[in-house]
Amino acid sequence: MDIRILFLILVPLGTAFLIPFIDLINAKLRRFFVLLGILLESYLIISIIINNFQSLREGDFFLQYYLGGWHPPLGITLAMDGLSLLFAVITAVSLFLIVIYSIGYIGHHEGKYYVLYFLITAASMGVVLTADMFNIYVFIEMLTITSGALIGFKRSQEASAAAIKYLIYNVLAGLLFFLGVLLIYFNLGTLNMADISQNFASLESGIQLFISAIFLTAILIKMGIFPFLFWLPKSYDTAPSPVTAVLSGVLSKVYLYIFIRLFWTVIGFETLVALNLNVLLLDLALLSSFFGHVFALQSNNIKRLLGYSSIGHIGMITAVIMLNTDAGFYGGLLHIISHMFMKAGLFVACGYLLQYTRSHAYRDFKGVGLRNRSVFIAFIALLLSMIGMPPLLGFASKWYVLMAFLEARSYFGAFIVIFGSLTAVIYYLRYIAKGFEEVKLTEDDLREEIYSRPLLSVLYREKIVSFITYAYTAIIVGFGLGFRFFDLPLRMSIESIMNVERYIELVLGG
Amino acid sequence: MFTNLVFIILFMIGFYALVMKTNLIKNVIGLNLMEAAVFFWVISFSDIGGEVAIHKMGEEMTKFNDPVPQALTLTGIVIGASTAALLLTLIIELNKFSGTIDREKIEGLND
Repeated sequence: MDIRILFLILVPLGTAFLIPFIDLINAKLRRFFVLLGILLESYLIISIIINNFQSLREGDFFLQYYLGGWHPPLGITLAMDGLSLLFAVITAVSLFLIVIYSIGYIGHHEGKYYVLYFLITAASMGVVLTADMFNIYVFIEMLTITSGALIGFKRSQEASAAAIKYLIYNVLAGLLFFLGVLLIYFNLGTLNMADISQNFASLESGIQLFISAIFLTAILIKMGIFPFLFWLPKSYDTAPSPVTAVLSGVLSKVYLYIFIRLFWTVIGFETLVALNLNVLLLDLALLSSFFGHVFALQSNNIKRLLGYSSIGHIGMITAVIMLNTDAGFYGGLLHIISHMFMKAGLFVACGYLLQYTRSHAYRDFKGVGLRNRSVFIAFIALLLSMIGMPPLLGFASKWYVLMAFLEARSYFGAFIVIFGSLTAVIYYLRYIAKGFEEVKLTEDDLREEIYSRPLLSVLYREKIVSFITYAYTAIIVGFGLGFRFFDLPLRMSIESIMNVERYIELVLGG
Repeated sequence: MFTNLVFIILFMIGFYALVMKTNLIKNVIGLNLMEAAVFFWVISFSDIGGEVAIHKMGEEMTKFNDPVPQALTLTGIVIGASTAALLLTLIIELNKFSGTIDREKIEGLND
């Protein structure tokens, strides 16, 4: 029983509901409260790590909290094992950096923005920490609603259209997830993940297949894997830059966490193998990765291009996880971490660089690099990391992914990793070259440009925004040199993915 | 059997309205119909013809309906209502810019 894991969800939730009241008193206090909320959240995570450092070392880290004192399988349990801790830490770090970026970036309707932002924080923490199937559904829907509202935040035609598209796809996915949860309840009479995991194998194989297929469809729509990827690039393009960073850096990783939890802990990988779904899913993910990179090649819009590249990377991570080997998990989890920082950093840098341009199109990218030289260099470093340049974090993770594919003799997968890097060289170099193109501006051009700026991209505090970009670059370079730092947390997470019996025993018995 | 049939028919009507109709409001209605179909199925499936699950003092309860699916459905209804409200708000917003709610005619939704 550790009440701090409950507070990890309650603190952002409380901050979100306090912000409108703070606005009524004094709008200037709001920024202080936002910082207070996110610092309290970070303090809770750090104190959990420090207090349990000994057990983390020994590999028997486990915390849980029974809501209302009801013991499982009756009540709702919050449980934190190695995998949850890893995801909680990286989501918290990402959300911390992006909220500071937002303080510099968002200049209008700040109150509404932070309410939605902290609801996203609470919901992603909730997904990561809960051990109850229905709770996961509720938190997923919370993520869908808040992120949908944030995608439509600019209130332009494109933003509203993208938000509608995003919501229709994701509500459908949520509905399927609800049906899956209820089917599990009707068949097993429980919603506790450990309890389901214990009894799932005793079901008939037809029902097993039906439930797995429903969950699979829901989670593939949410992650943007091949047949269902069409909502993704548009919403990445039109959302404000910090929101895109959250969508790509946090939400897609949270959905990957649900994917791992569902198909390793709850349903069990053996069931997938018995149902012959694993090979199908592996090929689907690799195909999705391939299509993501191919679509990125023909894209003429920098943010949409980054969205397609996200599809490519998420597909690659899903595929390497589906190998179900230690090396596969090591590469996949390392790439989750590195992709989280690289993509969020790229969108953050984009938000700064695109402030002077009329649109996100390729032709308007001309001369961007000459106006903000140092930020553009940081941007290039992040792009090189995406490609997989040796001293950076992207190289380390891609190397482990490639090695995992080769070890499992999945040569198509290895081909996709190389193919992704090679196409990435082409489509990123195009933009770097365009950014350094000399552009002569007349006074009329400048005036037209200033008036045509979209309202939200007028930067509020330029220093903060560029500082966060540098922070992301520093993370990429620093951890690229010292990626061994992730060795302990990754081993711990792999241990908690593979050792399902321990999870069941600890949740039900503790 | 009858409830399953109703569920499938309702779900299919909703899916038809979501996919085939170009009017965005009809799409949202379709989405809500699909949700309603699932909720209807859950409630009717959990109804085994017993009593309401409220324990009365001094009485022995022999057969009662499971209250958990009802509670879960209630949460689902709340979530469905809020997504529908958000979608309709966005459609109103879209109508201000483009003057139409036809999916085919709005740039950004027709591909």
